[in-house]
Amino acid sequence: MKKTMTKTALCALAASLTFAALPAQAETLRILTWGGYAPDNVVEMFEQQTGIDVEVTKSNNEGMISKLRATRGGGFDLVQPSQDRIVSAQADFNIYKPIDLSKIDASQMIGSMLDATKKSTTFEGAVYGVPHVWGTSGLVVNRDKAGSVKDYTDLCNADVAGKVSYRLKRPTLIGFAFAMGEDPFAAYGDVAKYTQIMDKVEKKLISCKANVKTYWEGGDALINLVRSGEVNAAMAWDAAGWKLNNENKAITFVSPKSGALGWIDTFAIPRKADNEAAAYQWINFVMQPKIAAMITEAAGNFTASQGADAYVNDTLKAQYQESFPPADVDNIKWYPPVPAGLEEIEGKVLDRVKAAG
Amino acid sequence: MTNSSSIITDVNAHPTQDSSAGPDTYDLECRNILKTFDGGFTAVDNVSFQIPKGSFFSILGPSGCGKTTLLRMLAGFEKPTSGDIFIKGQSVTNTPPNKRPVNMVFQHLALFPTMTVAENIAYGLRQRKVAKHEIGDRVKGVLQRVGLPDSGNKNIAQLSGGQKQRIAIARCLVLNPDVLLLDEPLGALDLKLREHMKIELKQLQEEFGTTFVYITHDQSEALVMSDQVAVMNHGAFVQQGTPHDLYYHPKDAFVAGFVGESNRWMGRISSQSANGLEITTDSGLGLHGVSGENQSFNNGDKVEIFVRPEAISLVRGQGDSNNSNQLACHVVNVLFDGAKSQILVKDPQSNGEVTVSMPQTADFENLRKGELLSLSWTTEQTRCYRVEG
Amino acid sequence: MSLRTPKLRLGLLLLLTPMLLWLLLLIILPHVNMAIISLSERVSAGEYAFSLSNYAEFFTESLYWNTFLRTATMSILVTFLTLIIAFPVSYYIAKMLRGRTKGLVFALCLIPFWVSELVRTYGWMILLRETGVVSSSLQWLGLTDGPIEFLYNDAAIIVGLVYTSMLFMVVPLTTTLDSLDDSYIEAGYDLGGNGFTVMREVVIPHAMPGIVSGCIVVFMLTLGNYLTPALLGGKDSLWFTEQIFTQFITRFNWEQGSAFGILLLFLSSFIVWLGLKLSRQSFTRVMS
Repeated sequence: MKKTMTKTALCALAASLTFAALPAQAETLRILTWGGYAPDNVVEMFEQQTGIDVEVTKSNNEGMISKLRATRGGGFDLVQPSQDRIVSAQADFNIYKPIDLSKIDASQMIGSMLDATKKSTTFEGAVYGVPHVWGTSGLVVNRDKAGSVKDYTDLCNADVAGKVSYRLKRPTLIGFAFAMGEDPFAAYGDVAKYTQIMDKVEKKLISCKANVKTYWEGGDALINLVRSGEVNAAMAWDAAGWKLNNENKAITFVSPKSGALGWIDTFAIPRKADNEAAAYQWINFVMQPKIAAMITEAAGNFTASQGADAYVNDTLKAQYQESFPPADVDNIKWYPPVPAGLEEIEGKVLDRVKAAG
Repeated sequence: MTNSSSIITDVNAHPTQDSSAGPDTYDLECRNILKTFDGGFTAVDNVSFQIPKGSFFSILGPSGCGKTTLLRMLAGFEKPTSGDIFIKGQSVTNTPPNKRPVNMVFQHLALFPTMTVAENIAYGLRQRKVAKHEIGDRVKGVLQRVGLPDSGNKNIAQLSGGQKQRIAIARCLVLNPDVLLLDEPLGALDLKLREHMKIELKQLQEEFGTTFVYITHDQSEALVMSDQVAVMNHGAFVQQGTPHDLYYHPKDAFVAGFVGESNRWMGRISSQSANGLEITTDSGLGLHGVSGENQSFNNGDKVEIFVRPEAISLVRGQGDSNNSNQLACHVVNVLFDGAKSQILVKDPQSNGEVTVSMPQTADFENLRKGELLSLSWTTEQTRCYRVEG
Repeated sequence: MSLRTPKLRLGLLLLLTPMLLWLLLLIILPHVNMAIISLSERVSAGEYAFSLSNYAEFFTESLYWNTFLRTATMSILVTFLTLIIAFPVSYYIAKMLRGRTKGLVFALCLIPFWVSELVRTYGWMILLRETGVVSSSLQWLGLTDGPIEFLYNDAAIIVGLVYTSMLFMVVPLTTTLDSLDDSYIEAGYDLGGNGFTVMREVVIPHAMPGIVSGCIVVFMLTLGNYLTPALLGGKDSLWFTEQIFTQFITRFNWEQGSAFGILLLFLSSFIVWLGLKLSRQSFTRVMS
């Protein structure tokens, strides 16, 4: 009697384990992306049209690479890292698989942007990314209270002391380097030169630390700081500036004198993606001009979708034009792919800045 | 005992000035102590008493009678609602417990488990800022006197129950208190040890000469150890006297019932004469008795009748006696307990059970259940007390 | 009935299996893995070699060493402050209150911990920020002319950490103090002690296991806290776990991060061991 009971229990245990291990019945698409890039209304439309369940996980560049590194390229079907961060991550951790360009409807994408992205995400002859959303990093300024801030280094001016915020991440290092008259992108291939530039930036950032209220971490935290008036000038994304502009006309995104930093977030396929087909379906779906405009609405940034501008609301267009006179558009510094190893140099600089008191 | 004077030196240095209350022949005096708690419950109801120097005073009462509250007021843990407490003629009613020249042995002893035996005893001396070498000497001395000279370095957990008792007492006595309060400290011990400790406590008290105030619900503890016993019920002292007084001259039915064992009947007075009372019990027995202390009756009064088990004489089988009360019974059970053995018998007339002490003679060795016994006792040993209502 | 039949031993093994599996899979294996990773060094893309350089980095780069020292010192300070604040609270709950009020007040202490640490920390940010409740109240009361920033400094970190740690100090303290029979305290007074000496000689020695176990838990939790220092400390929130997080997540430098993790494990264990030695407590007694 006792034996049979044990057997039954063991069978039940084994059975439940087996069921737990079975994949879910419905087809799913797991996307690892930025906030606003897969808004609910777009996800709903896609699910209705295709019958595929979409699971969205929000993250940032570092988070995406870390997660994929931990799973060796599994757990997601589609990721959206910035174009400059793909090649080094692929070289180090082998987490992506090449994009099958034949499955992409290239006619929906702005040609120049697609070509640029293909070029910067090519590793060992294969293309690893196609463009989705693009934008810039520059300055978010309350023009009434911090009108003097025209460039990154102006954040260290005495008249904005204690009312400044920026991130303690690599864009800040790059931005300050440009504002200090250096060209860090040109030095990407020259470790000695790059180290020298970074040392200079480190000194500047340490001396600037007293000016900083806090280093912001997430976009929402930054918006809060500026909205409440605790911060009057910050280095941040254009979309954040425009969002704040909707509430307070004095605040907007300002393209810095030394040039805004341009980034393109891409679509890339993890090496162990389960549902590649759905990923391509999603890419072609969201690059339709109308859908792309909905994403622009949610994220605050423009997409690489051909003709989507026509559907974007006029406020955002006007804000864009105000922040970017034509000369400033030409002055945007687009991130080239980061060579492996540079981030280690930057990392130590950031650590030392953080520790400096 | 010759070294007692060197140990019992007065370091308390509390002033013992004469008070208007008279000579300080009393170590402890309570005047009209009243304690009511929130909600109107009166725990101690107008209690007054005096304890002469060096005596062993017990407060005996059932649980909930207020004796613990009274003791805690003496120690200073509770404040009387009204009334005054004097120690050696000095009012201590408003003195906090750590400044009173009294010490307490707690029910569960409360020996500090984080300290060794010697540290426990030295604790109070350290609080009094006694010099270090003197502390050592006095701890050694008191350990000697309680018969545990080598226990100083032991942990509390290493001691037996009886040793713990002695250390708890030593911890207080080393401070030479005017009064030592003991809150049923024997309650947690097993019977055999309890019997032994009763004697030991009494000896310790005599040896140290300190006034002991001992509270208990166990009448045997109170009777064995005390010079004076106060019986307490419902917050008030019912009777105070020597153990002998309480046992043989109980003042009312409560004391008669509570102190010592008794057989009891309920009944009514049927007639009175110079020789005593004629009583008829509710079950129909006719008894001859006397009235208890300070009692007087009218015919027909309801009374409770008490007869001690040891007052009853026994004869096996049918037998006659000169005693005025006689009863023929059958043995129900023999409760053998050595010298304290008792026989439980049933009287066929009223169907009531009576407890009788078993005489320690060979005659009663082979007593059997159902056997006939003739019981008899005198009029004087049949005490009647009024039942109110 | 023999208790040592093979069947029963199998039963015991089965009962212990979940715990042993948990220990092995979630504690031991990851640590072994981390130790292995910490001993390798990236040579070039995708290529790693055995090296102690990650450990050397910790001791040679004063930045990391100092961060650890700062974290440990502040954690000790937080532990001490938590103890100072939690002791009277626990004493009040355990010894002064009775019956329902006791349970109620104890529960009141626990309620803040029903919400997540993140929410609690944001609560502090709302209170302490320049445009926050404290600053505006002070201005409204006329005690200050302009807004004051209470956030983004070490004091804010300590306040947040002490608050977060309170529960883990109050619970063991209340439990041990509750187990102290009132008669010990009364005996302390009865034998001539005053409030201070009774506390020092009777209450604290009794509560020592609770104090030490509370301190160990609070110290370890504080040392390993990431969220509170990061959010309340702002630009000066230098915390060792943050360094580990940064190495793993933003630098992709798992090798360095693992080395820091292992070092944190050993250094914090060493500090706890030192604390136990100094307070003359044994770990098994404290944790029982």
